[in-house]
Amino acid sequence: MSTLQLTCQWWQSLHRTMLRGVLGKTFRLVGYTIQYGCIAHCAFEYVGGVVMCSGPSMEPTIQNSDVVFAENLSRHFYGIQRGDIVIAKSPSDPKSNICKRVIGLEGDKILTNSPSDFFKSHSYVPTGHVWLEGDNLQNSTDSRYYGPIPYGLIRGRIFFKIWPLSDFGFLRDSPNGHRFSDD
Amino acid sequence: MVASALYLTNGAHQYGYECLTGMAQSKGWVRRYFKAFCKGFFVAVPVAVTFLDRVACVARVEGASMQPSLNPGGSQSSDVVLLNHWKVRNFEVQRGDIVSLVSPKNPEQKIIKRVIALEGDIVKTMGHKNRYVKVPRGHIWVEGDHHGHSFDSNSFGPVSLGLLHAHATHILWPPERWQKLESVLPPERLLVQSEAE
Repeated sequence: MSTLQLTCQWWQSLHRTMLRGVLGKTFRLVGYTIQYGCIAHCAFEYVGGVVMCSGPSMEPTIQNSDVVFAENLSRHFYGIQRGDIVIAKSPSDPKSNICKRVIGLEGDKILTNSPSDFFKSHSYVPTGHVWLEGDNLQNSTDSRYYGPIPYGLIRGRIFFKIWPLSDFGFLRDSPNGHRFSDD
Repeated sequence: MVASALYLTNGAHQYGYECLTGMAQSKGWVRRYFKAFCKGFFVAVPVAVTFLDRVACVARVEGASMQPSLNPGGSQSSDVVLLNHWKVRNFEVQRGDIVSLVSPKNPEQKIIKRVIALEGDIVKTMGHKNRYVKVPRGHIWVEGDHHGHSFDSNSFGPVSLGLLHAHATHILWPPERWQKLESVLPPERLLVQSEAE
């Protein structure tokens, strides 16, 4: 009888300490995960973050698999300007992002065909929209294909390259200077 | 007399020492409170902001573009709705949902409309420059319930799903208008052709 009681007591105390220890640790872990996840969300949503770009559409400014630093303050304060490189949600696929240069803001006149054509056609960017083009004009699907995109799709502005180290620093201006028309 | 002077100074020293320790204890209390406050602040603010951005928030509806579903009383009493971000985290909406989105014409403003058509559907428009419009991939067609008084897809065309902000699920205020908002298409806006068939 006494050994049974003893084993019962031993089992109960083991359960209590184990459970309390394990449960307490689990709750603490979950709490810290939620806290750091929320801080990460706030940092990326309102300040900025590190992004890896893929694709050839922004060569030579940004090559495939470059790591860049994007800031999201300009978007919230509506400070995006012509010539900025922005990350935006793709208009045809909201789950993927595109990385292009802003060529025109609302009200700007945009040349919509290549400058070698004889008849120059142009259009105006509607209110609340921006015109995006990649720096690699021959290999870029951008506003020349799907039209101007609403400003609300812009997520952030890229202004600094981190990797590769040979290209560390602020990003260059557009190699296609003639695309800007300041009418 | 020297002894009493020494005694007095000793007492004064002791009194001064007690004052100092008393002050140090109260300063320690202030520092501890400040540390606890900072810890609480850095936990509570990001969690609250993330909750309001990603899970749900509340908003007041203004305007008459969704009458009679929302704001039937006009400017006298504005409805307050519960906006559910979590439901649209994968950009999944159904026809008939009432959604809030960033206005394509003014990024500082959010508009609240009903989803009429999804990508691939053909819509018969009311007041758009084309009579029939096929909704492109990744876009939706939204309209307000109060036709003619609504700035919606009939003015600016199909909107990209990336502008979707939240799904309005319930009316929270005024209390006599507590209800769950149903996802029904108005009968006169049935589709010409929908891809899902």
